[in-house]
Amino acid sequence: MKILILFLAAIVIFTAGCPQQGEPRVNVREGVASDTLASNIVTRPVVHAFSVLVGEGIVVNNATAKRNEAGLLEVQVNGVNKSYDTRRFRYRMEWLDETGGLIETKTSVWLPMSAMGKQPFSFKVVAPRPEAVNFRMDTRKWEN
Amino acid sequence: MKKITVSLLAAMLAMFIAGCEPQTSNIDVTNDQGKAVMALDYRDFDQAASKMVQSMLASGALKKQGGGRYIVATSRITNDTMQRIDIDQLMAKIEQELLNSGQVVMTSAVGAQDSTDPLVQDARKLRDSEEFDQNTVAAKKTLLAPELSITGKIFQKNISYDKGMQQVEYYFELKVADLKSGLRLWQNETLIGKRGSSKSVAW
Repeated sequence: MKILILFLAAIVIFTAGCPQQGEPRVNVREGVASDTLASNIVTRPVVHAFSVLVGEGIVVNNATAKRNEAGLLEVQVNGVNKSYDTRRFRYRMEWLDETGGLIETKTSVWLPMSAMGKQPFSFKVVAPRPEAVNFRMDTRKWEN
Repeated sequence: MKKITVSLLAAMLAMFIAGCEPQTSNIDVTNDQGKAVMALDYRDFDQAASKMVQSMLASGALKKQGGGRYIVATSRITNDTMQRIDIDQLMAKIEQELLNSGQVVMTSAVGAQDSTDPLVQDARKLRDSEEFDQNTVAAKKTLLAPELSITGKIFQKNISYDKGMQQVEYYFELKVADLKSGLRLWQNETLIGKRGSSKSVAW
């Protein structure tokens, strides 16, 4: 039994111990890339179960706003899906004027977004009115 | 005694049947989490319109060089789906947002039939009428010609996906062209795809 455990441990260390640090802008997915702890046939269930257990999900790292050439506020939202599964969600952007008042617009609707497991994602939203100076964004689960 | 028992049973049966009937409720249109349907519903139109407007505004195509606002006419929007779609409903959302963006003004003088206001022409027929103060009647050469036009179409593709499953793809296409030069300044396609039982009717 001890030998078997040692053997499995050796395989795990051998297959996943030295992850290749490649070009960060190029993503090589599971099944194409070399095995990691998360993709190895032996360790994968444990790692994925742990991810589910701690409740990993979407994290928005930052949202940058700038005025585009047309004078409209343009917001880029950057985030990462920390879970191993594809996360589908909806977001709604609301625009605020300089007094903090809500600008009512037909474009403030729930829009779909999808991020693959353990992958970064970005999307851009443009304010439909020039008086928009700030924003607030909300998210919710994507209904079936 | 027997009558009372029968009445009670009938009342219970009526309550049971009434209880099984789904209740009518108003849709929370701002946060609707209802299930998707195979046909296009208002959420799909909202989504398509929002994406189209954002793409149009972000492109800068509507920003007039040297200031001012473009005069835009709505041309023909074709419905090539199996559904009876009120194109005006979709275009109203888009036109409203474009108007509010401060970059364009829409014209009701020319365009597709539903986008024009017949009174623009009818009011000019009053020129010879003695019933109207001619100073208040629109003079000749007062209408402004459109500079840009919006045209497009919505079409549908039904694909047999799997046994008992179908895939329905709805494509929303819009194009903006400069009417003087004929050059296309912007175009966008938004896809809304649905997958479900082939028993579901997509119209």
